[in-house]
Amino acid sequence: MSAEVLRKRKGEILISIPPILWLVIFFVIPTFLVIAMAFRSADPYGGIGQEWTLDTIKSLGNPDYPVIIWRTIWLSVLSTAVCILASIPAGYYIARLNKKYQDILLLFIIVPFWINFLIRIFAWKVFLHPEGFFKEALVALKIAAPDTLLLYNTGAVLVVIVYSYLPFALLPIYAAAEKFNFHLLEAAYDLGAGRLQAFVRVFLPGIKQGIITAIVVVFIPALGSYVIPDIVGGTQAEMIGNKIAQRTFIDRNLPHASALSTILALAIIIPSAVALTMRFFKEKNSTSLRLR
Amino acid sequence: MKKLLTFFAAALMAFVSCSKKSNELHIYNWADYMNPAVIEKFEKEYNCKVVINYFDSNEALYAKLKAGATGYDVLFPTSYMSRLMYEQKMIREIDHSKLKNIKNIDMAFVKKGLDPQMRYSVPYMMTFTGIAYNKKKVKNFKPSWSIFERDDLAGRMTLLNDMREVIGAALKYNGYNYNSTNDAELEKAFETVIKWKKNIAKFDVDEAKRGLSSGEFYLIQVYNGDALQLIAENPDLAFATPQEGTALSQDDFVIPVTAKNVELAYKFIDFMLEPENCKANMEFVYYLAPNIAAQKLMSEDFLKDPAVNPPKSILDKSEFLQDLGSNNSKFSALWDKIKSTK
Amino acid sequence: MKKRSRFPFYVTVAILVFFYLPIIIVFMQSFNASRFGGAWKGFTLQWYYRLFADKNIWHALSNTLVIAFGSTFVSIILGTMAAFALYRYKTKLQITHNILIYLPLVIPDILMGISLLLFFVSLRIELSLFTILLSHITFCMSYVAMVVLARFQDFDYSTFEAALDLGATWWIAVKRVLVPYLGPGIAAGGLLAFTLSLDDFVITFFVAGPDSTTLPLYIYSMMRHGSPSVINALSVLMVIFTFIVVFISKKLMEVKE
Repeated sequence: MSAEVLRKRKGEILISIPPILWLVIFFVIPTFLVIAMAFRSADPYGGIGQEWTLDTIKSLGNPDYPVIIWRTIWLSVLSTAVCILASIPAGYYIARLNKKYQDILLLFIIVPFWINFLIRIFAWKVFLHPEGFFKEALVALKIAAPDTLLLYNTGAVLVVIVYSYLPFALLPIYAAAEKFNFHLLEAAYDLGAGRLQAFVRVFLPGIKQGIITAIVVVFIPALGSYVIPDIVGGTQAEMIGNKIAQRTFIDRNLPHASALSTILALAIIIPSAVALTMRFFKEKNSTSLRLR
Repeated sequence: MKKLLTFFAAALMAFVSCSKKSNELHIYNWADYMNPAVIEKFEKEYNCKVVINYFDSNEALYAKLKAGATGYDVLFPTSYMSRLMYEQKMIREIDHSKLKNIKNIDMAFVKKGLDPQMRYSVPYMMTFTGIAYNKKKVKNFKPSWSIFERDDLAGRMTLLNDMREVIGAALKYNGYNYNSTNDAELEKAFETVIKWKKNIAKFDVDEAKRGLSSGEFYLIQVYNGDALQLIAENPDLAFATPQEGTALSQDDFVIPVTAKNVELAYKFIDFMLEPENCKANMEFVYYLAPNIAAQKLMSEDFLKDPAVNPPKSILDKSEFLQDLGSNNSKFSALWDKIKSTK
Repeated sequence: MKKRSRFPFYVTVAILVFFYLPIIIVFMQSFNASRFGGAWKGFTLQWYYRLFADKNIWHALSNTLVIAFGSTFVSIILGTMAAFALYRYKTKLQITHNILIYLPLVIPDILMGISLLLFFVSLRIELSLFTILLSHITFCMSYVAMVVLARFQDFDYSTFEAALDLGATWWIAVKRVLVPYLGPGIAAGGLLAFTLSLDDFVITFFVAGPDSTTLPLYIYSMMRHGSPSVINALSVLMVIFTFIVVFISKKLMEVKE
């Protein structure tokens, strides 16, 4: 090994060690702690058993969980779908505006996503209040009956998840659309494609990367939702996040909370790690920025 | 850039230095459960700062401490939870010599409780659970737990987010004891709660109170004093104790083992036992304190109010919540099942 | 040329209405005299007075700012180092490094919260502002690394090597060549870290101790146990503040360009 390579190697280690070490200590070890905890038992007093056991994992098979897991999945899928379906036409529209209007519109889209997360959820609680203006307007327009309830159901959870994460979907899709060469659409028309056909066959593949990013940034946080169902969900809207919080903060059952977390974590970490490894060398020039 | 760095460094230093303040008392309490004016008075008298955090069920309090929360100086668990925490060596024994006002406590009341010698707890307030409702919206109100079966009120009622209170109420409704651990009885209670669950908007403690006041909810399961606080502001509301009987609770002052400011904690408890201060608290929270000297200062109306001081007919049908030991897990398993069953 | 569809326009308008309707209602409710919200009971400014009289809010705000500044500072350093390593070296170590940096971005908050809680508790580290700070650095540094790495993509490393060849020490080269070039990226990453730290509720909720109430924790506590009308007033102020900050930063960017 030449001195040059050695020097380079030393530089690499020096500069990589602090961030890697930090993440190993505060991310990797804690994650493994959670996984390890899933193989411990809990006593009724909130203590943690000393011996290793599979019982905690096995108890996840109890018939109450599939309901909640299934609800978490379909709520996440549905809210992601709504976000994407709304973002594509909006991203298309904004990208075709002239620059000045684009900036103004973007500002209006970004601001709600800078507002505190809890305040945004709280706004919906106020908005959907059964004696509030919106409800009265719906009743006056005969859209809702006086005893229709807008809050505390899965519908409310879905709406608020969409509200919270729509800007995250909109921004990458807009960013991709902005780079899209709209002459390609004209070319498709010239070649005889219909408007819809050109949109589906030319525009959508053109912004594929933006759509993928949007799916990731909406779907994953949606899976981990806890505050939203906690505040606007009723008795039928619990998600996995709520169960984890309940196990931790009420049932004093950390092993159980860990077992649930492990499932959620593995479902996300394994595919991400594989995808990232595959992408690492391939994509040197990408400037795409991931936002949560 | 350099200036920026200096600024950040200064901010960090400030952070390290200000995170330790000596004269602070950390209390962990139920919401709306102590008169802020009395706390302010204490802060002035002892030249300290009282920092309050809130919990909304005994289980949440316990779990928070078990999960490693330290630094609280005074906690307010219900007596069954105080007992459990004592057995788990999470709270200290009370040194009576540091509480000159402990003589004000109603010993006849304490003797009937779980800690008859006040070894590890000092009683703060006596509470019980009932139903608060909006008189304008709820027609033909009947004081019974069965009211939660009424589907004309569907979506406008709430139950407490507390397994002992909800499952207990269902046990009572079926004629059993609040502290039952009999499987068949619990199964019956489960079926009852599921029927109720169809009609309620959510399981909640504090938000439900705001909701009742703002017209969001028409009827809620609630602690007596909390209900009276709402009624004082909104005359459309009323409170009733279910005829089947209810859960009685005694909430305590306890000092956790991990307390940092034990001396100040004693001073705080002693201060709250002073008749004047105890009276001011009672007037604010509408609960009855088992404090004879303070009760003497209260009006006859307050002491005779059945929503403050339940009559014997109700007491006879009601129970104090007990710690269930290892049978606690029966309740949590059932509570889980309730939360995930449609 | 075909006439463009009006459909994307309608969707965009609908999204904006959807975004702002709840906020407008909160604005109106913040002046509603009714204590618990709901029906209109007349105009009042009392919630704003109450808000300013509440010293706990200001205490929570100062906690929040201390943590936001602290975590931004540390995460800028760690994140920039990580970005440099990821950009410069394409070794096996960096594959792992890359995964490590990415995972905190994709992991849901609640998982990070519970794992850090278990970690601190098992090491018997007392939960406090300090544990919140450590946690915030952990998720902020990944964001900084990503933003700075994006800036790096267009960097020509030979300028850096040229400086070295011309006799500059490594440190001088970093200071004179690298930092000025990366400046906007570091600033953007730092701003992102700062706002994420300000905004975080879930992770903080898990690792907070008794004296470490941050503004989001306080807002949550008020939502659950306090007066909703005061939160309306607080929300209005925060929305206005957000608008001002976003507007100013936008103006600043324009000047630079």
